[in-house]
Amino acid sequence: MKLSTRLSTVPLLAAIATTGCIPDVPPRPEELRGASYSDPLEKPDFTLTTTDGDPFDFRAETDGFVTLLFFGYTYCPDVCPIHMANIAAVLRKLPPDVSREVKVVMVTTDPDRDTPERFGHWLANFDPTFVGLIGSLDEVNEIQSRLRLPPASRYGEDDNTYTVGHSARVIAFTADNRAHVGYPFGTRQNDWAHDLPLLVKSNWGAP
Amino acid sequence: MNWWCAAQDTAWSWTWQPYPGVWLMVAVLIGARLLAVKYWAPQTGEAEGGRAAVYVLGVVVLWIAADWPIGPLGAGYLLSVHTVQYVLFAFVAPPLLISGIPRWLLRRMIRPRWAFKIAWVLSRPLVAFLCFNVVLLATHMPSVVDGLTASQLGSFAVDMSWLIAGLVFWWPILGPLPELKPMPYPGRIVYLIANVFIPTVPAAFLTYARYPIYALYELAPPMSGLSAVEDQQIAGMIMKIVGGFIVFGIASVLFFRWAGSEETPEAGRE
Repeated sequence: MKLSTRLSTVPLLAAIATTGCIPDVPPRPEELRGASYSDPLEKPDFTLTTTDGDPFDFRAETDGFVTLLFFGYTYCPDVCPIHMANIAAVLRKLPPDVSREVKVVMVTTDPDRDTPERFGHWLANFDPTFVGLIGSLDEVNEIQSRLRLPPASRYGEDDNTYTVGHSARVIAFTADNRAHVGYPFGTRQNDWAHDLPLLVKSNWGAP
Repeated sequence: MNWWCAAQDTAWSWTWQPYPGVWLMVAVLIGARLLAVKYWAPQTGEAEGGRAAVYVLGVVVLWIAADWPIGPLGAGYLLSVHTVQYVLFAFVAPPLLISGIPRWLLRRMIRPRWAFKIAWVLSRPLVAFLCFNVVLLATHMPSVVDGLTASQLGSFAVDMSWLIAGLVFWWPILGPLPELKPMPYPGRIVYLIANVFIPTVPAAFLTYARYPIYALYELAPPMSGLSAVEDQQIAGMIMKIVGGFIVFGIASVLFFRWAGSEETPEAGRE
């Protein structure tokens, strides 16, 4: 082996010695089943209130984790419960070294009806670790616009039975605090089970 | 208004929905038999006995399987209910319909040469075995379920393929016409029990799959407290246990008839 080749392996060996594993390279877009962003999204910096009433600094609290961010509401008849149920079901089956590196955060687009009690109970039915965040609709729509999502809008006059139009996309932020991929409605449990380990073990943003 | 139950994107509602195609199917099945009795029944033929009631019961089973609420629930919301439909269409209704048709009517139906040939071919156990199990496996493939059940015509095609395959499956066992040379009782019992094992394949996939197999049911608006995988496991158990129970139940009846025919040779000629 040439001296230069031997020397080039030193940093890699040092990395293995300090971290115990070889960092994976980021997956190529075609390796992921989600829809890749050609221009990755920056993780937004905002603070909303959890269902327990505590402030939640999104960027700080999720730093270093794969974070699935979703905007929806508890009265949603289809998209929201299906997304949450599928993500929860997959996280229960993935190895702990993957699942504990994933945080799920849902921001309500229906703050009038999604009381902290109702929202917290609804999320806990899927997974008690899921974080529910509540803010004013203006705040929530402003965050969505930063993420290139359409604003939530109310349909129907009746205060009890109206529906809320909202994006059906789950945005996946990786440990580099950027979103390289999003998951539209129709993403199946098999797709989550395929992609989440890749997102957790990927090394986006590493030098 | 929909004419046949198919998957929908809307949340489930317990509000009754009409399905005219189902009513038409029921009317055709009842009407055809009434007309046959009126115009074709022999003047001094065999007595109807309880056959009419058995036939009507078979039609009622089809009606229940296809109409609201089982029809739309099975077509678009719960795989377990879809499997109940399969059992009703393929395992419950066909034996009742075949048993409910008098022999003179069966003979009248196969009087044309082409009809007799079809009946003869479909009466061969191997043909019936293959037809039934090909339909069983094909209609449970994810691409077929996800692709066809979303449209009314596709859903209708799946339901009718189950019914026709069920009639073909049960015909060698319950088709009583001697001119079609039915199998002796031991052969019928072996044929039935052989058919218990094929459904084990899709049933095992449903019961033991780690993730939902069908996108249609995984992404359907939730309407029960069941997860998609729990619903799928229940479907697998229904397919295996309920289907197996029916098959073994009828095999037991055949066994005792066989035993009875050994004691009274006249009965054995049925």
